[in-house]
Amino acid sequence: MSLQSSRLPHPMVTRIAVIIGLLILWEIFGRMGTSLFFSPFSKVVMSGHEIFYEPEVRRALLTTSGVLALAFILSLALGLVLGLSIAMSKFTYQTFMPVLLLLYAIPQITILPLFVLYFGNGPASKIAFGVSHGMFPVAVSVIAGVQGIKPILLTSAASMGATRAQIFRRITLPYLVPSLFTGMRLASTAALLGVLLAELYASAGGVGHFTRRFSETFQPDKLYALIGALAIMAIVINESMRRLEKRFSKWR
Amino acid sequence: MAESLVRVESVSHTFPAPEGGKEVLALDAIDMEIRQGEMVAFIGPSGCGKSTLLNVIGGMIAPTSGAALVSGQAVRGPLPKQIAYIFQESALLPWATVLDNIKVGLEFQGVPKDERGPIASAALKSVGLEAFAASYPHQLSGGMKQRVALARALSLRTDILLMDEPFAALDEQTRMIFGEDLSRLLASERKTIILVTHSLAEAVLLADRIFVFTSRPGRIKAVLTIDEPHPRTPDFMTSQRFSELRNELYELLRDEVLAAIGNDRQGLS
Ligand SMILES: Nc1ncnc2c1ncn2[C@@H]1O[C@H](COP(=O)(O)OP(=O)(O)OP(=O)(O)O)[C@@H](O)[C@H]1O
Ligand SMILES: [Mg+2]
Repeated sequence: MSLQSSRLPHPMVTRIAVIIGLLILWEIFGRMGTSLFFSPFSKVVMSGHEIFYEPEVRRALLTTSGVLALAFILSLALGLVLGLSIAMSKFTYQTFMPVLLLLYAIPQITILPLFVLYFGNGPASKIAFGVSHGMFPVAVSVIAGVQGIKPILLTSAASMGATRAQIFRRITLPYLVPSLFTGMRLASTAALLGVLLAELYASAGGVGHFTRRFSETFQPDKLYALIGALAIMAIVINESMRRLEKRFSKWR
Repeated sequence: MAESLVRVESVSHTFPAPEGGKEVLALDAIDMEIRQGEMVAFIGPSGCGKSTLLNVIGGMIAPTSGAALVSGQAVRGPLPKQIAYIFQESALLPWATVLDNIKVGLEFQGVPKDERGPIASAALKSVGLEAFAASYPHQLSGGMKQRVALARALSLRTDILLMDEPFAALDEQTRMIFGEDLSRLLASERKTIILVTHSLAEAVLLADRIFVFTSRPGRIKAVLTIDEPHPRTPDFMTSQRFSELRNELYELLRDEVLAAIGNDRQGLS
């Protein structure tokens, strides 16, 4: 083992210590202030979990998960197609890349009302808003991935008689795998943000709707329990993708 | 005299001007003939157009004027059935195992699926790396990677092998051993080989004829014939003749290298 690991504690140990420290801080501050807006960790755990027995909340969690899954898959598909088309040639790259970055830079919450106008205030607008958040990071990672392919690999493939389809299948796609995973992780967080924003401000159902209701009715313990559930959801998605990524990147 | 397999007919090539610069005349009316089974080396100062000429012959670059011919046919694009390449930097796919790298090359070349495995294994064996079939390129040394590249090129079973400084990234000892291996392999395979190199010793050790290039624009300054049968052994390398040939080559090159350095300086100011 390296010198470093023999002197320092395992990162896992310090990581857990930091998390425990943060929870203690939370507890202390939670007990200090007014219970209208903030709730100590212990109370969130003790009474917050009750919300998960309310059928309405359960349905909301289910709705949001479903919407998120759809938004994520669509983000991936559209982002991949968008990224590949832009990265296809120097010409398309120089034409469309600046436009893509411009669109990506727009704070999309400002055009949420447009989404509601087009897609109504049901699940469609949530999915669309999630996709509009999720597909850009996928596209940008895919483009960065394609740009990173070593030209010598393409030259060498051409010299051996590779067709465009063979180059795509044997070189572009496998080369893209790591950047695709980066894009997927960014996209899952971004799509979750998009879906929640749409639920918070524009829709009658879903988790976002309940976070608003709990904060407006001063029930911080329930609010934090719900946020906790969301955080766990995000962590599980992220972690499972990291595992998958590891399996596909043996060669690195 | 055996018939010529590769012919270069007054090939000139000009690269278009980069933004704000002037265009580069890389090759100026080159003529050459390379016979079947011959091993030739291109040597010359950096930037004189050796790689450009190799790529014209390999069909990777269309020359501005003139033409390269392979077996009497004008070259219009890559000829994967007749020409295999080995490049200076590793052109192996990092995500594929050594064996898969060779198999993918065969797939590109159009070899049917069930024939790829046996051909690839045999090629790997011929360079002595059969034990590393399941390794990934990053697990190999630089010399081993180039041997895999050699195995891949051999597996394509082309008549012609083009090598652009295949040993440049290797240390002196490894490249000399590699050179001896290559010489032995070539004696048994009867391939026609063009090798671009900066190493005088390598050129003398391996080549039947050495084409010495002038500084840019590249022309052929001289052709040196090394009349010594393959495979060439360490005995040849330590012989009096070897060092005489090497010195002769050095004399031919010296002025051109100085001229090339002068050229580049002017280009800068
Ligand atoms: N794609 C390109 N675009 C513009 N100019 C180029 C291009 N490729 C090569 N050149 C120019 O053409 C000249 C010849 O290049 P080439 O690569 O053939 O030289 P070389 O003899 O192989 O040099 P080296 O020994 O350094 O590899 C150089 O001056 C180089 O600047
Ligand atoms: Mg070169």
